[in-house]
Amino acid sequence: MSTILSVEDMHVYYGAIHAVKGVSFDVGEGEIVALIGANGAGKSTILKTVSGLLHPRSGNVIFDGKNISHTDAHKLVRHGLAHVPEGRRIFLQMTVQDNLEMGAFTQKDVSKEDLERMFTLFPRLKERRKQIAGTLSGGEQQMLAMSRALMSHPKLLMLDEPSMGLAPILVDQIFDIIQELHDAGTTILLVEQNASKALQIADRAYVLETGSITLSGTGAELAVSDEVRKAYLGG
Amino acid sequence: MSFLQYLINGISIGAVYAIIALGYTMVYGIAKMLNFAHGDVIMVGAYISFSATNYLGVPAVLSIFIAMAVCTILGIIIEGLAYKPLRGTSSLAVLITAIGVSYFLQNAAQLIWGATPKNFTSIVTSAPISLFGGQLTITGEVIITIVASAVIMLALHFFTTKTKIGKAMRAVSEDRDAAQLMGINVNRTISTTFAIGSALAAIAGVLLCSTVPTLQPTTGSMPGIRAFTAAVFGGIGSIPGAMLGGILLGVIETFSKAYLSSQFSDAIVFLVLIIVLLVKPAGLLGKQVQEKV
Ligand SMILES: Nc1ncnc2c1ncn2[C@@H]1O[C@H](COP(=O)(O)OP(=O)(O)O)[C@@H](O)[C@H]1O
Ligand SMILES: [Mg+2]
Repeated sequence: MSTILSVEDMHVYYGAIHAVKGVSFDVGEGEIVALIGANGAGKSTILKTVSGLLHPRSGNVIFDGKNISHTDAHKLVRHGLAHVPEGRRIFLQMTVQDNLEMGAFTQKDVSKEDLERMFTLFPRLKERRKQIAGTLSGGEQQMLAMSRALMSHPKLLMLDEPSMGLAPILVDQIFDIIQELHDAGTTILLVEQNASKALQIADRAYVLETGSITLSGTGAELAVSDEVRKAYLGG
Repeated sequence: MSFLQYLINGISIGAVYAIIALGYTMVYGIAKMLNFAHGDVIMVGAYISFSATNYLGVPAVLSIFIAMAVCTILGIIIEGLAYKPLRGTSSLAVLITAIGVSYFLQNAAQLIWGATPKNFTSIVTSAPISLFGGQLTITGEVIITIVASAVIMLALHFFTTKTKIGKAMRAVSEDRDAAQLMGINVNRTISTTFAIGSALAAIAGVLLCSTVPTLQPTTGSMPGIRAFTAAVFGGIGSIPGAMLGGILLGVIETFSKAYLSSQFSDAIVFLVLIIVLLVKPAGLLGKQVQEKV
């Protein structure tokens, strides 16, 4: 298995705030890797730095063999990186279809096959393709955010808290879809506060605490580790 | 009949404000800044058209395209040199810079063309249409201005709802980071917006000076401020809002001058603006910003 993403001793600051303190991890092709940790641990900051919205003060981000530490976000989409940000961030005033077209911005044109692929994965979106995205329910918005990201044919899909704010039944649905994408060969870096769910589907996981990785292992190992159970799985 | 005359004239001057307001509103929507130098780009556009026709003997219609080309480049240069380096800094710094650019353009125009007003020759040569036995006169300028603004409005609507670049612009204006994550180059999109706004400013400058022929370095200031008001009036960031705001403002201004007081017409316009903003803080067609929790 070859490594698609490798983060090496990465430090990220917001002004004087040292948000990510020397984090190293990697993601192999075809894996689901989870980053879990409490609110404010630095999970979103790590994803933003990988996708180029932020840049590390020191350390490296190697994606698909290239050092992308200082490459801007809009260029990385073409290299095969897709990031579904926290809070979904779909274009609320545009239609579902237009959102998907924006997802395919780096493609030559919006292919019918790609749209059909998304509508097979998320049938709800097909019925609502002409609808303004702001009128979708929270779960539908998350589905739109994920399919929008998939329109760019990413080599790595990064998901930031895809289950946030969703009813339990929708959380299950979203995790089923992540599993489905994984089975179809998509490489996924998953950030979650819902540690138990994330550890169930992750091949490997890292635990982040105030900007540093404190534990790592397979999903199954971490799910039964005492420290993780105490801190994130409610005992 | 004079009522109808004022209404038509008001719509015409309002259409000019609307074209200028489009530039303010598009730039605000995408770059989240008030480009106070926008009014002065109008003035530059008018001077370019004037110089092309008077000094180079270029036909009037061609001179408009030359003015548009020059203003497009000017808009891109202003954005790249003055505003782009300030991206991500305080909006106050950007505002002060914009005021600086405004003075710079006025002083540069004074240096190049002198402070003495030029008498702008209207680009319209057709005779006015006289209706109802001369009670109602519609000038060629009025017709051209109204037609031009309608065409611009439709073209912009098509551009922003049907083309890939236009949709990308809306995406950037809605969520800059999310747009970047789609692979959209935000800097280039902002630059394109300045280019479009400045080309429209050139058209506005020629139309304005065809109606009000005194051309001097400060020609763009007042129309610029009124158009900015119109953009806020209609809902800053909204393209139809800029159109509606511009036309309403032109009509209100013309009626106030005709029926109330010519000295206080600007005061009346602002009074209406204040009332509208008290009732609808986002402007007539502005989107009520939802508080994010
Ligand atoms: N834009 C910002 N400016 C300043 N500090 C920030 C900003 N975003 C996040 N932080 C801080 O960085 C730390 C990590 O935040 P974040 O990456 O969002 O954590 P998580 O996603 O794990 O909840 C927190 O202490 C947070 O307060
Ligand atoms: Mg987060």
